[in-house]
Amino acid sequence: MDFTLNDEQRMIRDMCREFAEEEIKPKAEELDRTAAFPYEIIQKMAKLGLLGLPFPEEYGGAGADFLTYCVALEEIGRGDASVGITMEAHTSLGATPFALFGSEEQKREYLTPLAQGEQLWSFGLTEPNAGSDSAGTETHAELEDGYWRINGAKSFITNAGTDMTGGVTITAVTGKQPDGHKEITNLIVPKGTPGYIIGAAYHKMGWRASDTRPLSFEDCHVPDENRLGERGDGFRQFMTILNMGRIAISALNVGLAQACFDESLKYSRERRQFGKPIKSFQAIQFKLADMATEIELSRLMYYKAAWLHMQGQPFTKEASMAKLFSSETAKRCADQAVQIHGGYGFMDEYPVSRFWRNVKVHEIGEGTSEVQRMLIAKNL
Amino acid sequence: MLMMSIGQFDVKPAKAGFVAKCSEALRRGLSRPPSSSATHPTLSTNHNLEENPVKIVVCMKETPSTTVEKSFGPDMRIERRKEDAVINPFDEYTIEEGLRQQEKHAGSEVIALCMGPATATDNIRRALAMGADRGVLVTDPALAGSDAIGTARVLAAALKQIGFDLALFGSAAADAYGGVVPSAVAEFLGMPLLSFAGKLDIDGSTARIERQAEVGYQVAEASMPALVSVVKSINEPRYPSMKGIMQAKKKPIDTLTLANLGLDADTVGAAGAREEALSAEKVTAQRKGEIYMGNEGAADRIVAFLVEQKVL
Repeated sequence: MDFTLNDEQRMIRDMCREFAEEEIKPKAEELDRTAAFPYEIIQKMAKLGLLGLPFPEEYGGAGADFLTYCVALEEIGRGDASVGITMEAHTSLGATPFALFGSEEQKREYLTPLAQGEQLWSFGLTEPNAGSDSAGTETHAELEDGYWRINGAKSFITNAGTDMTGGVTITAVTGKQPDGHKEITNLIVPKGTPGYIIGAAYHKMGWRASDTRPLSFEDCHVPDENRLGERGDGFRQFMTILNMGRIAISALNVGLAQACFDESLKYSRERRQFGKPIKSFQAIQFKLADMATEIELSRLMYYKAAWLHMQGQPFTKEASMAKLFSSETAKRCADQAVQIHGGYGFMDEYPVSRFWRNVKVHEIGEGTSEVQRMLIAKNL
Repeated sequence: MLMMSIGQFDVKPAKAGFVAKCSEALRRGLSRPPSSSATHPTLSTNHNLEENPVKIVVCMKETPSTTVEKSFGPDMRIERRKEDAVINPFDEYTIEEGLRQQEKHAGSEVIALCMGPATATDNIRRALAMGADRGVLVTDPALAGSDAIGTARVLAAALKQIGFDLALFGSAAADAYGGVVPSAVAEFLGMPLLSFAGKLDIDGSTARIERQAEVGYQVAEASMPALVSVVKSINEPRYPSMKGIMQAKKKPIDTLTLANLGLDADTVGAAGAREEALSAEKVTAQRKGEIYMGNEGAADRIVAFLVEQKVL
C-alpha cells in the first residue's frame, strides 16, 4: 500500500495550489459579491491545461490520470468553490461523456475544444420534476426523418449559459423498453440550435460566480448523429458519469473544508482573548483537531475511490461514501470556522461566511446526502 | 577580483520628456555604433521565430521558501529542509527569460543548471515543466558550505563544460542576497556580464540589455558568449502547464560531480570558503503604530495619513 503521490501528481497539486493562492483567492470575494462568471481565471486555467486534465493528449488533454485531476480540483476548490465547480462540471459532466461514450468523430469535434479549454460544456439531467428521482425524466425526443425532435425542460444546469459554452448533452426519453421502463438516450445539443432556450441565470445562495441556468426545449431538432452512444444507453451512461463525478465532487468538498481549516487556523493564531491567542484554548484546539482529522479522512476516502476506479474495480459504494462524508465534513468545518471567528465570522469581511453559504449545495449537488445513503445501503 | 566586463554603453532616460536633453548630452561623450541610435524607441530588433538559434543556460538555485520560518545552524548558515526548498524566486524570472528568448529564436535550447543537493532535481524538474529542454545538476558532498566564490567556481566549470551562447542568472538569491555570483562566474570565465537586465534582446551574435537606473536606463551590449543577470521587472514568470509537467519527466537531468568538472574538493565547499559568517541574527518584525486621541484632531491626522499613503 502506497499513499505517496507520484512526482507529476505532486507537481500538479503544488502548481494548482500556487495558482489558487495567487490567481483565484484574491478575487473570490469580488466574484461572490458580483456573481460574475470568472472568465479571466477560467481562460488562464484553460491555457495551463487545467480544463482537460484527464483526457488523452490526442484529444487536446493533458493525459493525467483520474486521481491527479481530483487532486488538482481539490486545490482549485480550496481557492474558490465557484471556480472549482466550474472546472468540475465542465470536466466531469461536460467533457467526460464524450471521452467515454463518444464516437471518434464526436471526440474530435466536441471533446478536443473542451479539453483544450476553448469551450465549456454542460450536462442536463435534473428537471423540474426529476431531481433525486432521475427515472422521472420527462424531457422527450422523437426520431423523425433522421432528426430528434426534443421537448422538455432542465433545471440547475451548470456552465450552460456562459459566453464560452458550446452546448449541452441532455438525457431524453426516447421510448419504452420491453420491460416497461423508460428508454433514455443522451443527445448533444449545441448552443444556438433553434428551439433550445437557455434561461436567465439563477440567483444563488452560494457558488455565486458559477453559471447555473434552467433550459427548455421547444421542438428543438438535432440530427441523429448527435446521439451519444446507442439509443437507450442514456441511463447507464449518466450513472457512470455521476459515479465518477461524485469522486470529483468529494475532492471539491475537501478543498472547501481545507479552506475553512486554513482560515480558522490563521484566525485563531491572530485573535487574542483573555490575553492570549485563542488557539491556546482547548475549546479552539479541539475544533481544529476535529476539522483536521475529518479532512484527512475525507481526502483518503476520495483517494481510495479514485484508485479503485483507476484499477478498474467497482467503486460506486466508495464514491458515494466519499461524497457523503466529505460534504458533511465540509459542512461541519464551515460551521466551526464561523464559530471560531465569532461575530467576525458572521460578517462578510472574513471569507468564512462565504464558505458557510457555499457549503450547503455540496450536500445537494450531484446527488444529495440522502441519495448517497440510498446508494450505499443498496451496495451493502 | 570581481570585475565587470561590459561592451558599449548608451544611456537613455526612461521619461520621454527627459530624452532630448539628457541622452544627447550623454551620447556626445560616448562612442557607439549608429545602428543602435537613440531615435529607436525600443531596441528590440528581433522578430518572432527568426532563425538565430541560441544555446541558453539558465542558472538556478534552491532556496528555502520565503514563507517558512527560518532558523540558523551552528555555522551561522540558514538551515535548509528539503520540503521547504523552492526555486530561488529571482531565478524564476531567469528561467522565464530563457524560455522567452527560445520562443523568439527558433531552434534555441534552454538548459537549467543548478548546484545543490541531490534532491534539487525536484526543482530542476519544475524548470523543465515550465519549458526548459534539459537539466544539469552539479552535486557533490564536498560542495556543502560553499561560499559565493566557491559556487561561482563550480558554475563556471559547469558552464564551460556545457557550452553556451548565453548564461542567465537572477540578480541575487533570496536566502543570502550576496549578489556576486554572476560577476564572479564572468571573471572565472573571462567573459562579459551584462548585469541587472530589465530587458534583453539578442541580435545576431550580440546580446543587448537595458538596465534601469534612477534617471533613465542604460543600454549595454556584448558579443556572445556572454552572461546576463536579470531583474524582476524583465518579465512575468509563467506557471508550469499541465502538459509541461507531464512532459517534464521525460526530459533528461544530467548529474555532474566535482570529479566530472575536474575541480579539487579543497577549492570549493566549506574547505575552500573564504567567506565566514561571523554572526547571524533574526530580523525582528517591528510593529510601529501611532495612536491619535480624539481630542487631538485625530480625524484630520488620519485623513492626512491616508492621503500620504495614497489610500485616499
